[in-house]
Amino acid sequence: MKFKQHPFIFLSGLFILVVISFIFALSSGSGSLSITELLSLVDGTASPLHQSLILELRLPRALAAFAAGALLSLAGVLMQVLLRNPLADPYVLGVSGGAAFAALLAMLFGVHSLWLTGSAFLGALLSILMVFSFAHSKGSWSISRLLLTGIILASGWGALISFVLVIAPAEKIHGMLFWLMGDLSYDRPLLPSYLILLFGLLLALSISRQLNILLWGDIQAGSLGIDTRRLRGVIFFLSSLLTAGAIALAGSIGFVGLVIPHLVRLIIGTDHRLLLPASALLGGALLIIADTLARTVLAPQQLPVGVLTALIGVPLFLYLLRRSQ
Amino acid sequence: MSLTTALTTKNLTLSIAQKLICEKLDISFNPGEFWGIMGVNGVGKTTLLQTLIGLRNANHGAITLNQKGIQDYKRIILAKHMGLMLQEYEYNFPCTVMEATLIGRHPFIHNWQWEDKQDRQLAQEALKTVGLLDLSERSINTLSGGEKRRLNLATLLTQNPDYYLLDEPVNHLDIKAQLEILSLLQQQFSENKQCGIMVIHDPNMAYRFCDHILLLFNDGQWLSGATAEILTSDNLSQLYDCPIHQLNDGDHTLFIPLENEKLI
Repeated sequence: MKFKQHPFIFLSGLFILVVISFIFALSSGSGSLSITELLSLVDGTASPLHQSLILELRLPRALAAFAAGALLSLAGVLMQVLLRNPLADPYVLGVSGGAAFAALLAMLFGVHSLWLTGSAFLGALLSILMVFSFAHSKGSWSISRLLLTGIILASGWGALISFVLVIAPAEKIHGMLFWLMGDLSYDRPLLPSYLILLFGLLLALSISRQLNILLWGDIQAGSLGIDTRRLRGVIFFLSSLLTAGAIALAGSIGFVGLVIPHLVRLIIGTDHRLLLPASALLGGALLIIADTLARTVLAPQQLPVGVLTALIGVPLFLYLLRRSQ
Repeated sequence: MSLTTALTTKNLTLSIAQKLICEKLDISFNPGEFWGIMGVNGVGKTTLLQTLIGLRNANHGAITLNQKGIQDYKRIILAKHMGLMLQEYEYNFPCTVMEATLIGRHPFIHNWQWEDKQDRQLAQEALKTVGLLDLSERSINTLSGGEKRRLNLATLLTQNPDYYLLDEPVNHLDIKAQLEILSLLQQQFSENKQCGIMVIHDPNMAYRFCDHILLLFNDGQWLSGATAEILTSDNLSQLYDCPIHQLNDGDHTLFIPLENEKLI
């Protein structure tokens, strides 16, 4: 645990990883570019073809991947605090399912893509409120009941999603399916997601020490001066918003919110003042790399990035689970 | 001690799930006192502690700290005056002993601010007091039951409020450690004019270290006062529904449960 004494070295390392992942994403693909060709973009001597390839295709896609990875990782961290359980994430709780269903409805009715984010947010919030109101029995609630409720609701959302897919017109189905598996190939507005990311990270950091203490339980947190009802309210709102931001941008991408915080905790521990920014950076960087691989390994065939994160995430998670026993 | 600086309950009636915990409780916990709360399992001792610190609402009556209603305090302000050590904790994440101790400083640190040297020093002193300083970089998952209790106490010592609410603080500790920690608390409360309110099961330890006792009976009845008046074999026999005999050898008083025909 050497990094624990030098957390800022770790954060700087992650920052460098983000830069490397961007360079990897911008230079890979059909017609690979060298570093010098990339640099020629900066001084304006690049060919117009390269310029449009990089600036109009690869850069927006890498930026979208970074935002989605960072948003999902932050949402995962917050939900793990809410449940006081490291195995929680937007998917386990059915929050992604609710957001995906609401976003699919918006796609079905063909509304503007800004409304996609709003719709996904409402779906996520509705879903998380349902999980907690059903799991909250009189007086107290147990973690196992909460997780079970989340799993049941997730399968319910799954059924509703299938229903939408069945009634959707044929020309929309391919896009919807791809989006459901987690897909970054569509050109979606980046600004709302980055605003959500910035706002979410700042708000989460402002309550980060309270998050550390909430992990010890409501009674302990209350006795140390935390208004736990209000804090839980903020976490509900924030994790829904972050999930919605990611879903609207990139569809359903699994395991990022689960695996990234877990990995970061293994290295630097549970202090949320470091865990939150580190998870955002690592989640963003890894999703850029995963998405670049998704569009290059079987080129010209493109894989949805969600398939790739699941293929990496499932064995990694099972390994971590086994090791922690 | 004047009533202006005290934790006071007035006419406090408390029940949970139809079960009466205490009826019309009138007590004043004053600085410098060390209280022991006793009663059978499930009588509501823990609930009473959580009510005293304002984390549960009473059915009737009032709790005031320094003449101000406990519910009228902002929680972060209250945390500078009152602290609670729970009976047990559930924690599922990686964390070192030092980090766990430092959370006691939370009420004293502003948002966006980090623990400074002084906070770390307070935490180190607390860890030294409970004998865990050598383990301060260890992961809390590797601690034994007794070491975990010491850690919980170190966190409360780092918070160092005026009122220490302690829920079975010497559970899981060996006899020597029990004596060490209870005498340490006793000394601290009388020297610093702080007040301890402790749930405890062992009448001998209570007799030795507490100067005041509150007995909670099963039907909401209660009895409070100076230790020597309250901790008698008659009261204890009634409290635990089991004959208890008192032995005196001049310097020490010892309570022993006798054979109970009902139990055999």
